[in-house]
Amino acid sequence: MSGDHIHPEPTSFLRKHVFSVDHKVIAKQFLWFGLIWLGIGGLMAMMIRWQLANPGDPFPILGQLLFPRTDGVLDPATYNTLFTMHGTIMIFLALTPILIGALGNWTIPLMIGARDMIFPTLNMLSFWSMFAGGAVAFYSLFVPLGATEAGWTGYPTLSTTVGAQGTGETYWAVTVFLIGASSIMGGINYMATVIRLRAPGMKWSDLPLTIWGLFFTSVLNVLFVPVIGSAMILLVLDRVFGTQFYTPATVMSGGGGGDPILYQHLFWIFGHPEVYILILPAWGYVCDMLSFFARKPAFGYKISVGAMGTVTLLSAVVYGHHMFTTGLSAMLGESFMLLTMIISVPGEVLFFNWLHTIWKGSLRLTTPMLFSLGLIFVFGLGGLTGIFLATISVDIFLHDTYFVVGHFHLTMAASALFGVFAGIYFWFPKMFGRMMSERLGKIHFWGSFTFITIVFCTMFIMGYAGMPRRYYDHTSAEYLRDLQFLNVFASYSAFALGAFQLVFAYNFIKSRWWGEKASDNPWEVGTLDWTTPTPVPHFNFAEIPVVKCGPHEFSNPCLGPDTDWICQTEALPAEKELV
Amino acid sequence: MNRLHKMLSAPARRWLALPVMTAILSSSVSAQEVVNRWGPNPPASSYGHKFDELFSLITILISVSFLIMLAMLMVPAIRDRARPGKKASFDHGSSLHDKRFTAVVSVIVFIVLDLWVLKVAMEDLRDGFYAIPEVSDPEKPIYQVEILAQQWAWNFRATGPDGEFGTPDDILSLNELTLPVDRPAVFNMTSKDVIHAFFVPDMRFKRDVNPGAVNEGWFEPIIAGEYAILCAELCGYAHYQMHGKIRVLEQDVFEQWEQDAAALALAVFDENDTEAHWAWEWQE
Repeated sequence: MSGDHIHPEPTSFLRKHVFSVDHKVIAKQFLWFGLIWLGIGGLMAMMIRWQLANPGDPFPILGQLLFPRTDGVLDPATYNTLFTMHGTIMIFLALTPILIGALGNWTIPLMIGARDMIFPTLNMLSFWSMFAGGAVAFYSLFVPLGATEAGWTGYPTLSTTVGAQGTGETYWAVTVFLIGASSIMGGINYMATVIRLRAPGMKWSDLPLTIWGLFFTSVLNVLFVPVIGSAMILLVLDRVFGTQFYTPATVMSGGGGGDPILYQHLFWIFGHPEVYILILPAWGYVCDMLSFFARKPAFGYKISVGAMGTVTLLSAVVYGHHMFTTGLSAMLGESFMLLTMIISVPGEVLFFNWLHTIWKGSLRLTTPMLFSLGLIFVFGLGGLTGIFLATISVDIFLHDTYFVVGHFHLTMAASALFGVFAGIYFWFPKMFGRMMSERLGKIHFWGSFTFITIVFCTMFIMGYAGMPRRYYDHTSAEYLRDLQFLNVFASYSAFALGAFQLVFAYNFIKSRWWGEKASDNPWEVGTLDWTTPTPVPHFNFAEIPVVKCGPHEFSNPCLGPDTDWICQTEALPAEKELV
Repeated sequence: MNRLHKMLSAPARRWLALPVMTAILSSSVSAQEVVNRWGPNPPASSYGHKFDELFSLITILISVSFLIMLAMLMVPAIRDRARPGKKASFDHGSSLHDKRFTAVVSVIVFIVLDLWVLKVAMEDLRDGFYAIPEVSDPEKPIYQVEILAQQWAWNFRATGPDGEFGTPDDILSLNELTLPVDRPAVFNMTSKDVIHAFFVPDMRFKRDVNPGAVNEGWFEPIIAGEYAILCAELCGYAHYQMHGKIRVLEQDVFEQWEQDAAALALAVFDENDTEAHWAWEWQE
């Protein structure tokens, strides 16, 4: 059936480049959209770090332009807006669209041998819903009474009218809702496409692990994003229509009314799967790329799939570890602690599979490979420090300190970002028909890797010293004044990290239009996406390919001495002889 | 060691030796240095040392795990780089032997890294954070404090000599809490407006302070002195300024202080100042 599945090639500019239903165009739209927001979110991070290193000094160059009323100085309300929007933007408007929207859209049909997504119009709606979310988020920065400032978690009652009068908070909830809708549409589409449109001969065990990662992410999106959607509806009702889902009466007046903790449950039922939503695709890309560039099969394919599946299942039942200090009962707290400990096991299994994959390989240290190896390193740091936070008696001290900030940035920011970069460097030649500069790519990698590690490891020390997060000016508390040196150090490392991203921006723009022309298969890998001509034609495959072997048959002895790879459309020689 | 020696080519050994030596030396020296220079003050509560001990245990466990991981990452990254004529080995890792290996390693990691830590943590919690002393405990008289948080201050209320909340001799204070040493201080906490968190780093204590419900918590100060209170849950734009302090006094000094403070409270008690009458019935 997959052969019939295609829409005619559009001719008008609008249908071709703007309201396109072609998965390749939508992937590029998601990519540009996400990269622009990544820049905005990154700039916000620079402002946050500036304020922490030089409390109360005007932000250089851009400060006068952005905050004219305060002469370029960030005031506390602006600061709160900045870290709130930094989190919201990075998670929902930068990582989600690139990691899942762009790379997912690009890889799924091409890697499974389909001509497009199964629901092309839904795919287009998914992007434009995300775009609307981005537009609302941008508009919310300029509304009367102020933008959102309740943190990316938006806990009531700070996010209800009790704590936030600005309409920006309402727009923030609308943003999250719209992006949630986009994720659900995308998730349904991805799942249905992988289930229904695999090329003939492609068994589940022939899928590249990239597709498995995206598939599990889609499952989580479809199951858990509706929860945050409903939480946001209740929040908007509370804010605009005066309901009291989250607004309690005070203890002194007898209690009753709504419950702010209800929101925390709803938020984290979604929020914990969300971190796996962002990391599973990155894991998938890395599983594949380590194999591609080590010229060795992915070690323990089925075990890796099982581990990712287990993580997907368990991610639903560990969310309580975000609420250890909220007032959970002892029994509930300890249950969540045990479950959280259990989820570390599939993670460890994946690590061993990755390390086994590169062991005794023939490693081509290209930029995507470097980012994949870098991901192992930063995710190792982030994952292992999670054990501190999973342990209630330790988390009581570390909760809501910079230790948590360091931990989740290494796991979901640095790792997901490295996944993003690995993916972009890897699929760029197929997407745009040109190679990205390897030299600049390596400079970008080593700069990012060094400084991302330094920045967030410094935060572990700050958190261990007891510095709470979301402090506009920690020097106002005597207890934290000694930490100024660490903050300055982290800030200037963060500026260096930011500067290295400019190398990426330059490389991306330059290579997009003036890069060296790419061949059809520059990395010499055998998955179906690399069997297409470059640039990929509208129909992807002139003839739907028939899959005859797995995605990772590198260095198979039966290939003979001249080559170490084989396309998925070819049968392994030994089997050929049998036929 | 001999096997490791054979496993690595000569240039790989040269490449590895220096960073490995440096890493091992500097990490053991610098870990201690970091704790001394940047770590939190020594614990001042009866259960505070348990945090420090478990933190150290986990640090050791994850450092070992991380070093193993790093070695398995660095060795192939240096030794197995592609060069002309180099052939990768072929292994799908799908044999029964590989599956057994995975299972065994998982069990070992789970027991060493997870169950061990879990066991220590549960014991710590049962004797510490979760073991909130009760008023009726005859062996250890507790010191009760009601905490009402608001944007952006801490209101404290102690019972005064009569042991009852909501009476004219209640000792009220703002942002400064006075506690006796060696006596468990037990808190009832709620908030007027948004969620705050009562964080006393030197006591290794933190608990969210929610509106609409009372949260309980406790610690027993064991060293007299002054300690910082910080708000650890974002509560608005002056969140960073919501700090206070705890004064822990020796028993006899404290008793004198309590008498004076209660007398002063009685003297300034104002029937009509309803704002100040916010006590609630003690919950445990």
